[in-house]
Amino acid sequence: MTQGVPNSTTGFALRLRDVTVRFGSVEVLSNVSFEPAVGKLNALVGPNGAGKTTLLRAILGTVPYTGTIERGTTKTSRPSRIGYVPQKLSFDRGMPLTVLDFICCGLQRRPLWLGYRRKAKQLAADALRRIGGDGWESRSMGTLSGGELQRVLLAMALSSDPEILLLDEPVSGVDIAGEGLFCDLLGSLQTTGHYTMILVSHDLSIVTRHADYVVCLNRTVHCQGNTVETLTAENLRRLYHQDVGLFAHDGLHEGHSHTHGHTHGNSADAHLCRDHDDKRGPQCP
Amino acid sequence: MSVMQWWTTDGLPGLHGALRAVLPFQWAQYGFMLNALIECLLLAPLCAAMGVQLVNFRLAFFSDAVSHSAFTGVAVGFLLQEWASGWGGSFDPQVTLIGFGLLVAFGVAMVRRRTNLATDTIVGVFFSAVVALGLAIVTASGARTSAFQKYLYGDILTLDAADLVWSAVLTLVVGVAMTWCFTPMTLIGLNPELAHSRGLRVRFHDYLFSLLLALVVTVTIRTAGILLVTGMLLVPAATARNIARTAGGMFRWTILIAWVCSVGGTMVSFSTWLENVSTGAVIVLLATLCFAISLFFRRSA
Repeated sequence: MTQGVPNSTTGFALRLRDVTVRFGSVEVLSNVSFEPAVGKLNALVGPNGAGKTTLLRAILGTVPYTGTIERGTTKTSRPSRIGYVPQKLSFDRGMPLTVLDFICCGLQRRPLWLGYRRKAKQLAADALRRIGGDGWESRSMGTLSGGELQRVLLAMALSSDPEILLLDEPVSGVDIAGEGLFCDLLGSLQTTGHYTMILVSHDLSIVTRHADYVVCLNRTVHCQGNTVETLTAENLRRLYHQDVGLFAHDGLHEGHSHTHGHTHGNSADAHLCRDHDDKRGPQCP
Repeated sequence: MSVMQWWTTDGLPGLHGALRAVLPFQWAQYGFMLNALIECLLLAPLCAAMGVQLVNFRLAFFSDAVSHSAFTGVAVGFLLQEWASGWGGSFDPQVTLIGFGLLVAFGVAMVRRRTNLATDTIVGVFFSAVVALGLAIVTASGARTSAFQKYLYGDILTLDAADLVWSAVLTLVVGVAMTWCFTPMTLIGLNPELAHSRGLRVRFHDYLFSLLLALVVTVTIRTAGILLVTGMLLVPAATARNIARTAGGMFRWTILIAWVCSVGGTMVSFSTWLENVSTGAVIVLLATLCFAISLFFRRSA
């Protein structure tokens, strides 16, 4: 897979203007406008039921919306391609399906029972190498751990050589070790500057450590901007309607996560934690 | 018309002659047995193509609902037949049978797309509705239940040349569709949103699957009967699921098992001590035996 020229800062990958989504009479999103920073990791944060996943779906085009969502032409003359990493893949774990089968589903029209296209096999191998899954092709999808499955989903997204990556709570069902590995992968993708990433997460510690740009969403955009300036206690209180405590937040105030590239070895220095966790509304899963 | 004439006067006898030349069995002397054999060879890939999707994406109940809608289709068909004969015309219940199959398949697909109800709930509603309607019509019209026997139990040994042409055309159509759509349908079954992000038309494939399922089920009813259609579709695929490791492998195994069981079942049911046993039942029992055996050969996870 060719890496291509890193994106120039001119142009845009994605531009949302006045996006409104209604389910029946309920307005789930109203007048959402933002433009993710090109080649950066953009985080979409907000409480449960804020419409984060709905916004991703609008960008994907699977829910009807009003307003405009434009895809730019940052790399080639065609509109940006989107790679989507779903929150989870619920499937029958006993189903005969290898990792190669799964990735090739997105890369070839030829029926799987007539074999794989050589090109598809090559792209799948490249994508797997990038997520640290060398030689996983013949593994059965049902035997992957939660963390491994998320990495395969990332490989699936990368295999189409997208300019935009949409990640919907990619580590919500993954253990700590798997989460660390996945975040390392995101970090390495981030340093290439090749992908405009939109990460939905309500794990603020991940967001503060990794994101370049943050959009706070609760039905509409409350605030947006670079991570350090946006994730202030005041903004978070308004977003979550309750106090969000900041513990050992020196890393945050030093602007650590924004200016120093994106290492995360010292992960303890920016840790955010919400008080009154038990007060979350009934919409919690 | 001319194709049909050629087929019944030259094509079919020619095919029978060729088959007799390669099949040195006593049963090969009977034209109806050869027809049954041809039907099995045509039908197995269709059942395999549908069965793999039904098993992998837990849609077994869907095919049950479509097959039971045939009961209503036949009941309505008999009513129309009676009405038509009053006018001196004729009506083939096969038409309403296919019509109701399509109606239920598309109805389920449409409601599934437009509401967030669980698929088995939607299918259950349609299932009960069509069976209730069928029963209401049958009891009201006082139709003889013996007339339904052919549809309930199926009868692969009474197929004529026209039936075989139907099967051949359908095999061709479903074969082309499943060659073109097998891979996209697999991804859509796994995660529709992911499939959409790869540029696949999810709605088109959903409705196409419903259409193909309705056609395959209504044709399979002639062989297995309303009661056993789901078995014909499901059991070979369920057996293959135990053995295969890859998605492609599962499909190839399903076709092989479906062929072995349908041809084998038809031959076994011809033997004198099974003379009065329904052929469809023998085929499904044989497939179930294969399934039981496959449990011992399950690939280790």
